[in-house]
Amino acid sequence: MVTITGVIPRPNTYTGLWSWLTTVDHKRIGALYGFSAFFFFIVGGIEAGIMRMQLATSDASMVSADWFNAMFTMHGTTMIFMVIMPFGATFFNFLIPLMIGARDVAFPRLNAFSYWTFLFGALLMHGGFLIGQVPDAGWFSYANLTAAPFSEGKGLDFWALSLQVLGVASLAAGFNFVVTIINMRAPGMSLMRMPVFVWMTLVTSILLVLAFPIITVALIELTADRQFGANFFNTAAGGDPILWQHLFWLFGHPEVYILILPAMGVVSEIIPTFSRKPLFGYPVVVFSGIVIAIMSWAVWSHHMFTVGLGPIANSVFTITTMLIAVPTGVKIFNWIGTMWQGSIDLRTPMLMAIGFVALFIVGGLSGVSHAVSPSDFQQQDTYYIVAHIHYVLFGGAIFGIFAGIYYWYPKITGKMYHETLGKVHFWLMFIGMNLTFFPMHYAGLNGMPRRIYTYAEGFGWEGMNLLATIGYFVIVISLLVFIHNFFRSIKKGEEAGHDPWDAPTLEWSISSPPPVYNFAEVPVVKGQDDYWITKREAAARGETVPAEPHVDVSTIHLPSPSYWPLITSFGVVWLAGGLLIDVGWDYIRFPVSFIGGLITIIGVIGWSNEPPAEEHHEAEGHH
Amino acid sequence: MVRAASEILHTRRSPSFRRIRGFTMGLLPSAEKDSPTNSETTFVPESSRAIPVSNTSESPTRRSGRRSLVALAILGGILALAALGCDANAHQSTFGVNGPVAREQLLLFNVLLWTMVAVFVLVEGALLYAAIRYRRKPGDPLPPQTHGHTPLEIAWTIIPTILILGLGIWSVVVLFKLEPGEAIALAKEQGKEPLYIEAVGHQWWWEFRYEDAYPDHDPSKPAEEQMELITTANEMRIPVDRPVIMTLKSDDVIHSFWIPKLAGKQDVVPTRANQMWFLAEDAGMYYGQCAEFCGTAHAQMKFRVHAMPEAEYKAWVDGWGGDLAEPMSPEAARGRLVFLGDGQCVTCHTVGTADQVNEVGEGVQHARMQTYIAYTQWLSKRAEERLEDVRTGNEPPTAFAAPNLTDLADRTTIGSGLVDLNRETLRQWLRNPDDIKPGNRMSELAAIYQTRLDHRADLSEEQLSDLVEYLMAQRHLPVQ
Repeated sequence: MVTITGVIPRPNTYTGLWSWLTTVDHKRIGALYGFSAFFFFIVGGIEAGIMRMQLATSDASMVSADWFNAMFTMHGTTMIFMVIMPFGATFFNFLIPLMIGARDVAFPRLNAFSYWTFLFGALLMHGGFLIGQVPDAGWFSYANLTAAPFSEGKGLDFWALSLQVLGVASLAAGFNFVVTIINMRAPGMSLMRMPVFVWMTLVTSILLVLAFPIITVALIELTADRQFGANFFNTAAGGDPILWQHLFWLFGHPEVYILILPAMGVVSEIIPTFSRKPLFGYPVVVFSGIVIAIMSWAVWSHHMFTVGLGPIANSVFTITTMLIAVPTGVKIFNWIGTMWQGSIDLRTPMLMAIGFVALFIVGGLSGVSHAVSPSDFQQQDTYYIVAHIHYVLFGGAIFGIFAGIYYWYPKITGKMYHETLGKVHFWLMFIGMNLTFFPMHYAGLNGMPRRIYTYAEGFGWEGMNLLATIGYFVIVISLLVFIHNFFRSIKKGEEAGHDPWDAPTLEWSISSPPPVYNFAEVPVVKGQDDYWITKREAAARGETVPAEPHVDVSTIHLPSPSYWPLITSFGVVWLAGGLLIDVGWDYIRFPVSFIGGLITIIGVIGWSNEPPAEEHHEAEGHH
Repeated sequence: MVRAASEILHTRRSPSFRRIRGFTMGLLPSAEKDSPTNSETTFVPESSRAIPVSNTSESPTRRSGRRSLVALAILGGILALAALGCDANAHQSTFGVNGPVAREQLLLFNVLLWTMVAVFVLVEGALLYAAIRYRRKPGDPLPPQTHGHTPLEIAWTIIPTILILGLGIWSVVVLFKLEPGEAIALAKEQGKEPLYIEAVGHQWWWEFRYEDAYPDHDPSKPAEEQMELITTANEMRIPVDRPVIMTLKSDDVIHSFWIPKLAGKQDVVPTRANQMWFLAEDAGMYYGQCAEFCGTAHAQMKFRVHAMPEAEYKAWVDGWGGDLAEPMSPEAARGRLVFLGDGQCVTCHTVGTADQVNEVGEGVQHARMQTYIAYTQWLSKRAEERLEDVRTGNEPPTAFAAPNLTDLADRTTIGSGLVDLNRETLRQWLRNPDDIKPGNRMSELAAIYQTRLDHRADLSEEQLSDLVEYLMAQRHLPVQ
């Protein structure tokens, strides 16, 4: 086997479909992540739309209860694991090597493996739709509703197995970015000179590496219960359904910060650029991010205040949860401090960033009211919580993501997006977002539980739900504007130039879009906001700083493309998906799954025996 | 600690210290020294050139000052509108509270809310003000390159911490008031016994068991003679002004017991017996609903609490399961036979006390237990094996915990708070429960719904009518 795998030469195409399937270029992988995430954003959005249409009026019967349950399960799972996290990965991939002055990530093939594993896992998750067996126990899938007697069919198996596949992808990416940031920084870029986005990526990656093993344990137990008849959560056999909740939320709360910290990093880049001021209190913003990450491990039981853990546990988690508002608040104050006395240019990225701050404040404040457990007893599992998480994850993460998309659009594509359309997108999405989610606060406080597929007339929830549904369509229109702007500008946008925003970070010093080798010469970093230093020193001499000139790519060593990440990912998803095979003889799933294991092993062996990059491949590759 | 932090903060501003420590905070001495006019000529980023700005005769500061005012006015308007959304009269409003538990929770929420509103106005106001006041105008110089302000940053770390710890301590005090011990103390103060009720969550209905439905016994008689054991479903009756302590158990998955106007929710977890309490001060009907997602019909797992004066409550307790308000009509008597015979209702449902059931058939309770055990064993099989059992006729008898129907007609709803109870809805329900409530164990398990493809009950219309008459006769309270 060693010889077989050893003699397959590395692929050497740099154009066409094969080049995308075998690419290890962090920028291409970033683009793949971005388009995949946006695709699933549309899928999750359609799922949300089905729910909103069903709930627009009382006693509606557009979809059945089971379909509605499947919709909110898949909406939550999709938006968290297949939209916001891969959008984070999009930015990590595209930007981290550029921001730290590196040629690529530390493990380029592992990076490709992360992407393909993510994509296959996400597709496997949606595979249930093809056979009408969709997960329907909520994105949190509380035991013992997930036990075989209460959840028949394969839906929950699709959920548990593909989430494990997604976990493999996240873990690989997490390790990759920790190592990249620690080891691959350009000379002079000390930790405290790193852009805040790099810091937040580091913190997020560490959280990923620490949090995903926990959910993996929980998912393995669930899989063991469902596939092999184990009793981890089977109450009839003495299993404990609360064990699932502890494991899930011990992962789940750091996960919340995995979702929001990258967006905070994005905003921390944008606000200084468009205020033409360095970030106010850079060390405090960095440390508060670290403190949030550490504290995120000590608050998980606030999801479980009503479970009956007793007043002592509830008191402790009330206080720790309230305290996490402090570092979060500090970040907000520092962003406002950055804008204060600045020279603010309200271009679309800045509008999105300010929108992020404005909406995140609302989400943060409503969060305090259910951090307090006695108050949470009324709010837990109501639409008030739905409003809260959407202010944090839509108003927060999604606005942050769009801020980043607009901000780096000229860098990624080399073209400038249409400013007016961008602003129209912002205002429509801002209005739509508030119209959708603000009324949910009232619905919740007026007693509407979440996850109900219909509600009776006369409970006073109709008005708020109708507003929310109208708001949903406003968001849809805003996204159509965005999609139009995105593709129109790739074709017809003005040339952006290498540094349209007078930005402070290294990625703006090279041409747009960046050449495959990123930096012709590895930069030497002089301080925080290095590119501002360069430009202002040059300006003091009366010079301007052009983009770094292109060089002959064959003179630069770059990692070569590889088939093996794709093959290994395929093996991993087959390993998981094989357990879902259901034809005739029930036990066929074990050998089928085993074949996936073999493919994975072959992939790993081939990977490790792959010859190192041949210089001539690169020489041939670029024509 | 603070000193160390401030040292770190100061490194940005002290070039010599920065060099010693070897980590730079990105201070740019040249930029800082640049006079505003100097940098104006050298730095005009492309983006600012691209923005057309309308000319006005007013000074920019006054203009943006007025804009800030307008923005603040809009903010205030939104807040005023915001107050309109709270509807204390809504059936499940957490604002229209009754009793000490919900009131305490609302007070805490209100204090948090108004604190948050104040913070919201301050912070959003500052954000809006900064965004409007410091907007870039063409030809603006590079703004002062400040990197931070240590005292300010320490202040906005410490002030929220103090605020939050203060609120946190208060909330812990409130938390302990919500413990059942508080209810026992309160009852003792009033010279009463608290009322203990056990709620059992089932997919998807509620069972209420009163171990001792009227706890204030006549001390002259032995207690066991007076113990009133009551089991009812989906509608709970309680006396006003008596603390009620709920013990919450689940028969299957996790549910959550919530009566918004009386108390916040508490989860109903299999393997656990959680407790919570509340007290209704005013007589009336309170709406409750399951708040933890529990499967298909989670949306329709509602219940009601009827709070009534002590005397009325006692009368209900005394009459429960006793003689019917009116003697049964001939139709109702025939319906009783359907209940026990063709309908096989008695396999799962009880009418009257266990003794009354035993009158009609020796060992009915025992038979039920047998079928129940067989059913749970069957449930633990794989779906394919179950299908096989159905095919080969080896499926177990369908017996399952089902609502106790004693005094059914004294209740106001059917289907777990779903529709009003009357002859029409009851008939519809019996004909095919799926028509009223998609997702119910009855049509899934009861034998009479398994024989026809459309899941309609395998009973004639006459039998259905008789059954309805029999069930509607199950009352001892006068018709309201």
